[in-house]
Amino acid sequence: MGIVLELKNVSKNYGKVIAADNINIEVDQTEFFSLLGPSGSGKTTMLRIIAGLEEPNEGSQVIINGKDVTHAPPYQRGIGMVFQDFLLFPHKTVAENILFPLKMQGASQKEKDENLKWITHLTQLEGLENRYPYQLSGGQKQRVALARGLVSKPSLLLLDEPLANLDLELRKKMEIEIRRFQIELGIPFIYVTHNQQEALTMSDSIAIMNYGKMEQVGEKFSLYHDPDSQFVASFLGSADSIEAEVASVQDGIATMTFHGKTIQARAHNGLKAGDQAICYIKSERIRMEVEENPDAPCGVVLDKIFKGQYIDYILDIEEGNEIIASSGTLSQIKAKDRISISWDPQVADAFPLPPKDPS
Amino acid sequence: MNQKIFWRLSGPGALFLVIFLLVPLITILVFSFWRTESYTMIADWNLDNYIRLLTDKTYLTFLMRSLVMATVVSLVSLVFSWPIAFFIARYGGKYKIILLLLTSAPFLTGEVLRVTALQQILGPLGLINMTLNNFGIEPIEALMYSNTSSAIGLTYLWVPFMVLAIYLSLLNFDFDLLEVAKVNGAKSWSAFWEITWPLNKIGTAIGVVLVFVPTLASSITSKFLGGPNGALYGNILTNQFGSTGTWALGSAMGVVLFFVSILVLLVVWRLVGDLRRSGISIKGGARL
Amino acid sequence: MKSTLGKRLQLGTLILLYIFLYAPIVYIVYVSFQTNGVWPFPPDFTLEHYASLWHDEIYREGLKNSLIIGIGTAALASLLATMATIAILKYHVKGRMIMTGLFLSPLFIAHVIIGISSLMFNKNVLGLSGNIGSTILANATYATAFAFLVVLAQLARYDWRLDDAAMVFGATPKVVFKEITFPLIWSAIFGAFVVSFLLAFNNLEISFYNLGATPTLPTLAWGSLRHGVSQELYALAALINLVVFVFFGVLYAMLKSGLLKLDYKEA
Repeated sequence: MGIVLELKNVSKNYGKVIAADNINIEVDQTEFFSLLGPSGSGKTTMLRIIAGLEEPNEGSQVIINGKDVTHAPPYQRGIGMVFQDFLLFPHKTVAENILFPLKMQGASQKEKDENLKWITHLTQLEGLENRYPYQLSGGQKQRVALARGLVSKPSLLLLDEPLANLDLELRKKMEIEIRRFQIELGIPFIYVTHNQQEALTMSDSIAIMNYGKMEQVGEKFSLYHDPDSQFVASFLGSADSIEAEVASVQDGIATMTFHGKTIQARAHNGLKAGDQAICYIKSERIRMEVEENPDAPCGVVLDKIFKGQYIDYILDIEEGNEIIASSGTLSQIKAKDRISISWDPQVADAFPLPPKDPS
Repeated sequence: MNQKIFWRLSGPGALFLVIFLLVPLITILVFSFWRTESYTMIADWNLDNYIRLLTDKTYLTFLMRSLVMATVVSLVSLVFSWPIAFFIARYGGKYKIILLLLTSAPFLTGEVLRVTALQQILGPLGLINMTLNNFGIEPIEALMYSNTSSAIGLTYLWVPFMVLAIYLSLLNFDFDLLEVAKVNGAKSWSAFWEITWPLNKIGTAIGVVLVFVPTLASSITSKFLGGPNGALYGNILTNQFGSTGTWALGSAMGVVLFFVSILVLLVVWRLVGDLRRSGISIKGGARL
Repeated sequence: MKSTLGKRLQLGTLILLYIFLYAPIVYIVYVSFQTNGVWPFPPDFTLEHYASLWHDEIYREGLKNSLIIGIGTAALASLLATMATIAILKYHVKGRMIMTGLFLSPLFIAHVIIGISSLMFNKNVLGLSGNIGSTILANATYATAFAFLVVLAQLARYDWRLDDAAMVFGATPKVVFKEITFPLIWSAIFGAFVVSFLLAFNNLEISFYNLGATPTLPTLAWGSLRHGVSQELYALAALINLVVFVFFGVLYAMLKSGLLKLDYKEA
């Protein structure tokens, strides 16, 4: 199980705009690795740097299979890529598209035939070999793009928002298929997306990016449950936020006052007594009780939204704090009910609130 | 890196234009301040050529006539070209290229031949008037050796340029936007004025200039179709390089023609207005 | 329906334009078969102009020179224009605006100015008399601008990320051009070639001032005017139009059968 891809101190700026700020990543042989972030966070730039389509700043290093390829052109890197909008060659048939990487390697006809058979079987494209891209459905185009990325058995596959243009149902199906291909081929996939559901479904590890900075990297479970930056805590899952004043911090747990009620959460970033804090709790971690508890934050149910697998309750807590609590479909709480809420201090995260602008 | 490739690709053409267009243009600018004596240029710096052009009424009259002619021909071409270019771009399907080339193919028959053929169709001894005569109808005076027949001839020659320019602009126009406009309640005409026209203004402006400039400089058409009061600026300009051999004066006339063209370009540019709202945008969000 | 009325009006204007554009050409073809060129009615058919066209060296010479000028100009112009367009559209770097302006600028300069300025430059600065080479170079200035306009308008929609994709899959820049870019943009380059050929093949002003006695078809036509256009030239024009329409016929057949595809987005 070796390291396939290593990024060391990778930075990139366009004039004054910083697209990547000192990024360090290691990706293992069998890893499904996602770069997750909002649009403009620099994740596509990272992918283009790995592919060799952008040159990073001086001092950056891109290492693939132990070889420094920082200054190598894309066509010498031996990687596969699946692009946003598929980018199939419109004048080539499905077979010609898929076999393009092998053609570039100068593979023999026999090798091409064998690989085409193998990959069309894997991606269920049999029988479509002689069609042109404009004759394909969105899902079929997606499969051709995947097949083209995988056909030369690259040491690494890069995927740039490949599911962004598909409808929800197809996306769910492809998420599972893509993960299956990755396990079957035993090569690392580096997957760029702004959709956390996708990232959480498929990945082993996730790196969260924001404004060109890597906020946090790690195994997806720990990232979700133990965020160590304010951005990650707010970005992942459906997170509610509450502002409160810190009374004391003990054993890593901050005790805070919120409209005279006491609440608790894990303290981060040197949070100390007297600070204003912002506290993030995932919606599904909020418990609701119908009887009003004088010690807990209380409020009223504004709306109840049935989502199928769960119910979202829109709550107005202590007059003016709108939060969402998710609950199982068997919950009996109704709109207009008065409730009190609570959570386990170990699943909430408090960060110092940056001082407000005087304006 | 990219900057280097950019220069390597665009440099040769740029250099070519500078050497073979700009340098000769500077040459005539220089010569326009010289004088000609028995068919040779003499480096005797003076403003006489320009003074003569500005004071002698003849030149100004010819220039004004050319300007009016070019304006009329451009406007007529504009009105005709729009529906044609729109039809080809929108409904031409895979035969667009043929429909478009059909408007340009007459160029292969050459200006002189086509203008003389037009003369034989329009002139007093031409097809139209002789036919009318046969039926005992008075000939149409306007068609015979007049500025009207010059205008017809010039429109005939240059209207394909305008069709080409508008068609090229429409190639990058998303016709689905018209559906959006109609869904939002716009009638065909208001959809055109609100959506199609503003997004294709630059292409249209280029088309107008492509017709305006050669009309302004034209000489052949008026020679055959124009009649006694039909001579244009281009006619006296070419005379300086032909029979009279006054090259310095001719150079000055060329310089004046050049600056009048630039002036027209600026006026058209002002009329087009805000470049960013005029539809020249490149896929991927980049703009020129 | 209103839209069909609009469509019919547009089609009507198009047909009207075709009639307007081709009426003189039909007339030329007709006269090329007539004994009397000045008033060819009632018709008196003859092939004598075609026969004398065949025997007269000067027309062959003129056609040859016009073809050389047309093809030379078109090749040079479409090459320079295509390179510049790719530079401007593919690489988002400084200088694109200025380059675009420079390449479009010849469109706004009358041919007669280009003609006299290249004549004056060659004769009075370089001390050379014009020849076919200088004629091609002078024609290529405005032809490059037309070619640039044609290629720019059509490549504005080209997705340069396709080139990126090919590169990632192992294609060197040269191979990318051969395998991806060129097959997708050749029709734009061809269009630029055709337009610049059409313009240079028939340019009178520039050839007139550059070539002197060397005949081209437009200068021959110009020269024969003193005695009324010779009917051999009408015959030659008729033959050229025959070639053009055969070309259109072939193009139509190829497009109809799907042998030739110009746009991959349409099924």
